[in-house]
Amino acid sequence: MDYGVEQRDQEAVVRLRGRLTFNDHAKLRALIGEMAQNKAKRQVLDLSSLEFVDSAGIGMLLIAREEMVNAGKSLVLRTAAGQVKRVLTVAQIGKIVTIED
Amino acid sequence: MAFDGATQKTDTPNGGGPDGKVAVTTELLSTWLGFADVQRRTLDVVQGELTRTSTTVENATLDLSDRFRQLAEKALEQSERVEQIVQLAGSVSIDGERVPMDQLVVGMQDMITDMVSNIVTLSRHAMSMVYLLDDVQKDVGDLEKAIGDIDAINRQTNFLALNATIEASRAGEAGRTFAVVAQEVRHLSRSTGELADRMRNKVTAVVKGVRNGHDILRQIANTDMSPQMLAKERVDKTMDSLVEQTSHFQSVLETAAGVSSDMSSTIAHVITGMQFQDLTKQRIEAINDSLAIMGAGLAELETRIRAQIPPGIGAQEPQEWLNHLLDRFTLSEMRERFVRRLLLEGTALDENGVLDVDAGAGDSSGGDIELF
Repeated sequence: MDYGVEQRDQEAVVRLRGRLTFNDHAKLRALIGEMAQNKAKRQVLDLSSLEFVDSAGIGMLLIAREEMVNAGKSLVLRTAAGQVKRVLTVAQIGKIVTIED
Repeated sequence: MAFDGATQKTDTPNGGGPDGKVAVTTELLSTWLGFADVQRRTLDVVQGELTRTSTTVENATLDLSDRFRQLAEKALEQSERVEQIVQLAGSVSIDGERVPMDQLVVGMQDMITDMVSNIVTLSRHAMSMVYLLDDVQKDVGDLEKAIGDIDAINRQTNFLALNATIEASRAGEAGRTFAVVAQEVRHLSRSTGELADRMRNKVTAVVKGVRNGHDILRQIANTDMSPQMLAKERVDKTMDSLVEQTSHFQSVLETAAGVSSDMSSTIAHVITGMQFQDLTKQRIEAINDSLAIMGAGLAELETRIRAQIPPGIGAQEPQEWLNHLLDRFTLSEMRERFVRRLLLEGTALDENGVLDVDAGAGDSSGGDIELF
């Protein structure tokens, strides 16, 4: 998995690409730290280019959400598709994190 | 020759003689006698055929009614069985308790939702632990380094104490007290070194334990449970399909039960409808009675006329009429019975060449015997 950050007026958009699995845990931790420190209150993870997420990836997304709350920010998961969208739906992540199509 | 009644009227258009007698030709009398003979026998045959027909219809109707009754009972049984199935189709038995299918499906879907939710929670906790142990490993590395620092300081202290001891011995008596202090410092340094060793041993054990735990945890967190989560989709679809199919079966079975019930009721109507046979039988009996009276009347008249005419006048067979009559009997079995009756008890058929045929028609079936 790799990512690119785009800073906008009200929000920071992080576009994740490839596969988000356990092997990315160090990289994602660094990203979470980055997101907690930038100034935008609204942190958006754009999942449109993410092809796959495993259960560890889901756990990491929930940790990201918790860290954002601790930093007084909000997390949004946007435009998930394919397997990622199916897993998010089945796991009812929408009950915990804001999901936008 | 004397006549009265209807015959007199038709044969005597001029009203007859003063003594009530009219002249009739011998040929006409012969013809009448021939007709009367054949007609009487024909009436007998017709009565026999009517009785036979009535019996056939009665037997067939009774047999049919019986079979229809059995059919109605079976249709009713089937309807009851299907209704039992309908009652059972919408539920399943679990630990001896009937649970409606839709309730069961909702229960199972809830169970799987809980399972998925637990997987999510576990994954989240596992990742938190992984991050925590990442930090602990880093801290333990710092600790190892700190113990190394203590060792360095201790070596320095030990070295200083050794120098102090040497300097104290050079100072002689004046340095004796200082030598004791230097010696104590060396002891202290040794104790510190031993403590650092013990700490290193313990820290090494902790590091080993943390690394093992970290490895195990990584393995746990690295076990992808997303396929199990997605299995919920399949289970949901299967359950929905199961409910839909069950409901379809129920609807089909309900229709089948209704049809069976309708069949039973229709058959009951059919059985009622078969009572026409009773009426038919009564009518045929009435007709037969009328025919018997007609036959008796004819016989009596024939006897009376025979008594009044000279013996020389015989009966003339009504050949053309007879042929016409026989043409009506197309059913060979019935035709045979008719021929037998006229042949055995009269002479009417001698001229029709049925004697030869009768010789070959010994049995009652006669289905393939060609008469005339």
